[in-house]
Amino acid sequence: MSILGTRVLRTEDPRFLTAGGVYTADVALPGACHVQFVRSAVAHARIRAVDVSAALQAPGVIAAFTGADLGGLPLPSPVSRRISAEMAQPLLARDVVRYVGEPLAVVVTDAAYQGEDAADLVDVDHQMLPAVIDPEQAAAGASGLLFPGAGSNIAATFGDAAGLRPDLFDGCDVVVSRTIVNQRVAPAPMEARAAAATWDPGGRLTAWIPNQGAQDTRAALAAMLGIDPAQVRVITPDVGGAFGAKFGADPEHALVCWVARRLGRPARWAETRAENLVAMTHGRAQRQTVTIGGSRDGTVAAYRLEILQDAGAYPRFGAVLPAATILMAPGPYAFGRVEAVARSVVTNTTPVGAYRGAGRPEATAAVERAIDLFAAEIVMDPAEVRRKNLLPRFTEPHTTAFGAVYDSGDYPAALAKVLDAAGYSGLRDEQARRRAAGGAVQLGIGLSCYVEITGPGVEAGGPSENATVEIHPDGSATILTGTSPHGQGHATVWAMLASEELGIPLGEITMKWGDTDLVPEGGGTGGSRSLQQGGAAVQQAARELVSLARQRAARQLEASPADLVFDAGRSAFAVAGDPDISVPLTALAASERLAVRTVFRAPGPTFPFGAHLAVVEVDTETGKAVLRRVVTVDDAGTVINPTLAEGQRHGGIAQGAAQAFLEEFSYDADGNPLTTTFADYAFVSATEMPSFELADMATPTRYNPLGAKGIGEAATIGATPAVQNAIVDALAHLGVRHVDMPASPQRIWEALQAASVAGRAQQPQT
Amino acid sequence: MTRLSLGKHGKAMEFLQPTTLAEAIEAKAAHPGAVPIAGGTDVMVEINFDMRRPGALLDLTRVPELTCWEQASGDGVVRLGAGVTYARLIAELGGLLPGLAMAARTVGSPQIRNRGTIGGNLGAASPAGDCHPVLLAAGAAVQAASVRGTRLIPVAEFFLAPKRNALHSDELITSVLVPRARGPQQFAKIGTRNAMVIAVCAFALELRPARVGSGDEGSVGTGIGSAGPTPLRAPAAEEFLAGVLADAGLWESAGPLPDPVLRRFAELAAAAARPIDDVRGTAAYRRHALAVLARRTLAWAWDSYRAGRGASRCG
Repeated sequence: MSILGTRVLRTEDPRFLTAGGVYTADVALPGACHVQFVRSAVAHARIRAVDVSAALQAPGVIAAFTGADLGGLPLPSPVSRRISAEMAQPLLARDVVRYVGEPLAVVVTDAAYQGEDAADLVDVDHQMLPAVIDPEQAAAGASGLLFPGAGSNIAATFGDAAGLRPDLFDGCDVVVSRTIVNQRVAPAPMEARAAAATWDPGGRLTAWIPNQGAQDTRAALAAMLGIDPAQVRVITPDVGGAFGAKFGADPEHALVCWVARRLGRPARWAETRAENLVAMTHGRAQRQTVTIGGSRDGTVAAYRLEILQDAGAYPRFGAVLPAATILMAPGPYAFGRVEAVARSVVTNTTPVGAYRGAGRPEATAAVERAIDLFAAEIVMDPAEVRRKNLLPRFTEPHTTAFGAVYDSGDYPAALAKVLDAAGYSGLRDEQARRRAAGGAVQLGIGLSCYVEITGPGVEAGGPSENATVEIHPDGSATILTGTSPHGQGHATVWAMLASEELGIPLGEITMKWGDTDLVPEGGGTGGSRSLQQGGAAVQQAARELVSLARQRAARQLEASPADLVFDAGRSAFAVAGDPDISVPLTALAASERLAVRTVFRAPGPTFPFGAHLAVVEVDTETGKAVLRRVVTVDDAGTVINPTLAEGQRHGGIAQGAAQAFLEEFSYDADGNPLTTTFADYAFVSATEMPSFELADMATPTRYNPLGAKGIGEAATIGATPAVQNAIVDALAHLGVRHVDMPASPQRIWEALQAASVAGRAQQPQT
Repeated sequence: MTRLSLGKHGKAMEFLQPTTLAEAIEAKAAHPGAVPIAGGTDVMVEINFDMRRPGALLDLTRVPELTCWEQASGDGVVRLGAGVTYARLIAELGGLLPGLAMAARTVGSPQIRNRGTIGGNLGAASPAGDCHPVLLAAGAAVQAASVRGTRLIPVAEFFLAPKRNALHSDELITSVLVPRARGPQQFAKIGTRNAMVIAVCAFALELRPARVGSGDEGSVGTGIGSAGPTPLRAPAAEEFLAGVLADAGLWESAGPLPDPVLRRFAELAAAAARPIDDVRGTAAYRRHALAVLARRTLAWAWDSYRAGRGASRCG
């Protein structure tokens, strides 16, 4: 029986649950000094002077540096050619600080706590500049420019805003338009950022950094330090979550390496939670105007999405994420006409980067809200509107108006399955009863259908990943992978894939990753790519290894390779029809190193899809929403380990739902962050979540032999609009059409108040 | 008493660790700037964020007198040692002081409830302290001790301003005297999530039924949290409700409370609040939500009063 598709428990867990992981802060680095960042306390100011003299006198201080000390370092190049080089972030602020939390000096001490004290003694002489916080105002440029040299606060545009068709909605019976907020959130991984660095006498750097892809981190460090990537070795210790925000390297990581070189002594840094919340990149932060038009029979004829992306103070990956949002704008729907355009603007806030889903959740949130707005306007069941507009099942790739090539999908089946699993009509009956009874607590049912893109890759020749599988004479095996697990469970699944081919027990297989000397190439883990490319590479390497071993076994047995059969149960080759004449893989490994490195190339990205249904109870008096049920179909093709896939769905649902009604990173008008601890940033906890109801559906892809698509972000994408739609649905009979996220008790109450005022105004005067 | 000097380089922090109440009081007199610490759930947060650097910490966790509670004989008052934790309020005092146990259940996480104490909650004097509305509603008193003696401070006079209380610099909270419940008590709060969050607003209610033949016409206690510079009472709401209950003979009849009474009580309770706009909520929302909580807690409390009366009639 195949081990694939079975519920193998995570082989990682015994160590994490007993001895504990070894995170970057746990890495022993004798003699290391501690780097403390001095961060801007103001959102926008010209720096007249940074005086470190008092800090230098403080106990334990070894050195202190400002931007002026970094003269030899290159300015980081822009994340995309679209972005002006004027908008580059220096590693330490030079003349201007542009967000609260921006590093502007470092203090280096013997012990970490000394740095916290000494940092307070660094005196910064500011000349305040007006803070640009609101993205609309930033786009208008009227309240000032962050980078006068760039001539505008607009960092990038996507699509042709001037070319939007004035006749897009011609012929529609109904057109609905609304501006909605996809708010800024904080990734808040359990392990905050960290770095440890040492240089050998030959001038080569070894850096331990929690990351999502050591090879990418190496390239980013080398670029920021102005050195050859070959001079950098990145080692990835255990990583406590990333959610997109640990790709590459941040200025702080490079500065720790720079300090170690400058002082000729190992250096390290581990940030606090408070630091993490303001200084790690944030996510989402789009303002979207959706316009949807169609006929009263429920057919949507046209859809337009206009995006204003808040990129934060320095354009990072978030500045280009609207490209992904536009690509996925129509989602799983067969709309007749679709347009999408975007602008990314800089503001005096923390830079925006990737956050679980990275551009696709924003697309889904927009179109799913639009569908519900349209359904409400034509007074049709939102499930029915979706059913009428979903693309029909397809088995050959489908190319969208934006050029996305959906590999395989059956969206109507996913919707039907989730409605059935949830008991949709019964829920609507219960809702009607509650509305008729008129109690304070009303029921809301929310839907979302989604399709997303996973494993996009940027490699010439299609997305790819490498793997090495080696069998040792003692019967054990080692896998080297270019992926970078930080909670996903690759060690378990990659071992399952190798074991399936080689017959070696899971316990004898070790997976290694994240050390660039050991695995010089790799795409890391992000964009839900790992299994479909990294896992496929492991399978391919194991199969190639069996082929190689077959040739060698044939030589040893003096038989034709075609006459040999591989017996995975014994991990041995035997002559067909004569099982006693055999040679085990261990014997082959003993006579000559038995290893294969291979690169798996995919024809393209894959497009997982699904449908989510959320049930909420909303207290119409206090405004508090309670999530009662989440029922999901998340079709990611073939599942290799259901337990791990469900874990990804659980985490994804919680994270997506949290955006709908709990989490928001906010600023006041002066750019002061308001949500700098978990007491104010309403990070989701288990008590806000019901048990999740997961329905199974698997439509394999032909883009890899496993048939697998990505599952890491899918449930995050589906959950947010389902929960938001459910909250609005609970209030629909009271005249509410929309509540911005997070739908806090206060926001819901305010929406009810506004609807009540509007309702009274509409009533005929008697 | 153990004394440790922590810290280095001239920024020493004294750590005073008395083992008896007498030692503790003497230490406080000798170090009036010392910050008392019990569970540390407030003090350590402030120290970790460098919002304060006290010259000395006065650790009260080894003072056995502070960790006891007792029901003083005869007068129906429960004396809670300042070091009684939220977890113990829930486990041991749900019968005598149900409102306090309800409030304690909403505090933080299990870890916080195991560490945090009622004395610490009072000492921090946060407008959002979860015990405060209940203690106000119950008409509790804080017992403060110093080398000069002891005094009782009514809880309604204890909170002076955000994070400022009525203690003198040489005083410690030794206990809280809370009249045991002789009628229904309720507590409710609204937060942005279910746990580990500072309340947007909170309301506590206590009904003290009339005692036939004693001349006691009954009374009502209220407490408001997170909607003013200090925890507040709503005296007009208390007087209104007590008047209605007495005048209409509702204590005796245990009849239903008319809806206008519930609504008027809610209005008066909300009017007593002095909320501000902040990151957790606007003043307008807080006032509205308080009215909802006041109406609901009254409905629940009156239902349980009526159920209790019904039960006694049947028995």
